[in-house]
Amino acid sequence: MDNREKLRDLLTDVLLLADEEFSLDLKREDVETWDSLAVVAIAAGVEETFGYHFTPEEAVAATGVRDIIATLERKGISFEGA
Amino acid sequence: MYQASGLNAVRIVREAEVRADRHVLDRLWEEPTTFAFVPSNLALTEDWIVASLALIPAEYRREHFILMTSGSTGQPKLIVARKDRAERLAAAIHVAQDGEPAQETIACLPLSYSYSFVNQWLWAHHLRRRLVQTDGFTRADELKAALDAAKEAMTCMVGIQVPLLRQLFGTHRFPGVIRLNFAGGRFPQEHLDALHEIFPNVRIFNNYGCAEAMPRLTVRRAEDASSAADVGFPLPGVELRAAADEQLEFRSPYRAVAVIEGERFRPLDDSEWMVTGDLGRAAENGSWLLLGRKSEVFKRFGEKISLPAIQAAVQRVWIGELAFYRETDTLGENAHVMVLAPRPEREQLRAILAELRRDFTRPHWPFRIESRDQLPRLPSTKVDGGALSERGGVTVEWSQQY
Repeated sequence: MDNREKLRDLLTDVLLLADEEFSLDLKREDVETWDSLAVVAIAAGVEETFGYHFTPEEAVAATGVRDIIATLERKGISFEGA
Repeated sequence: MYQASGLNAVRIVREAEVRADRHVLDRLWEEPTTFAFVPSNLALTEDWIVASLALIPAEYRREHFILMTSGSTGQPKLIVARKDRAERLAAAIHVAQDGEPAQETIACLPLSYSYSFVNQWLWAHHLRRRLVQTDGFTRADELKAALDAAKEAMTCMVGIQVPLLRQLFGTHRFPGVIRLNFAGGRFPQEHLDALHEIFPNVRIFNNYGCAEAMPRLTVRRAEDASSAADVGFPLPGVELRAAADEQLEFRSPYRAVAVIEGERFRPLDDSEWMVTGDLGRAAENGSWLLLGRKSEVFKRFGEKISLPAIQAAVQRVWIGELAFYRETDTLGENAHVMVLAPRPEREQLRAILAELRRDFTRPHWPFRIESRDQLPRLPSTKVDGGALSERGGVTVEWSQQY
């Protein structure tokens, strides 16, 4: 499983998305389950899955899937092709 | 055996003794003797029972009977009741449940449970109807034979037995069962269609009460409401009220007269309102709605969480068993863990999660969803709340991550 698939599974789990709802362009305002607790859950899930601990600022600033990917890529976690 | 020698002895009768000689209870009921009818499958020593019965004052040692009950913790208590009151209740239930056409009753729960004892054994004894004893679902072949042979029969079940009917008997039908009563837990409202397929001539009732009520407070016909939480209207003479914090309380002319718990005999005053242990409120039409056990309703992130409401939503798509236990989450908030049995397929889990998302905001979602091959149960068939959180044999199906 590549990193893109891992992130898709994580967000699908945390946000209770149907498979067809997930896309790289998904933003916080697109899905009602991306609430403040989801921000905490995504941060915890990212640490568990990718080994990187979001700072509180990074966690709050991540308002879409591409923001999460950008933050992780800056830390050397590759999402090549995303 | 007798608890003490002499005229005022309390006779102890075990379930197995009644299974071997069905007329033991008939004789004890007609005699002035007070008797204690206790399950065979509880790991209680004779010494414990004898010591508890020794607490009973002399005036309760005639014309009474005593049953045992256990809460979700499994701690036993003895409920002392009057024979004449229970007979009047059996007659009231008979009328409320349109019981007249039923000529026999098939016992598929232990008769020592207050529900089965009053709704079935006493009903049969008082109204001179036939009682068919079985070992219930532990001997499915015997139960199937009894249900097959049923002629204008009534039976009593608990909701958790419904999935077993399909599992053990497939599409087999039992046309001879014409009355089916549920109590002792959540009413299986979502399975009514399936129940009518299995029992094509049946009329189904939801009974509600508690051991201290010995045991019925309300009855409703299944079709008279669409929610499992609706327990219907009080039986004649029974009063219900929602007291502070929506605690459901009752007064009843049929109720128990004393409780022995924690090595203490406690008489119950008829004029006092007694707690049922449930939360509830009256509907506009006067029927009563259960909101859950007190321990099943709590605050989480400032929101009022109702485990029965969550269960009702999930059971729209999950036909297996379901229970909850409580814990504190990693943020220090009250949280609930949902336990499913048997283990769900991936698509079933996705369907459950979709229901949660559709009906509830995140604080209501379980902190985790776990699964087991089967739920741990007490001998009384109630879910063993203590064993539910033990880690052995558990699969984590989903979690909130944080």
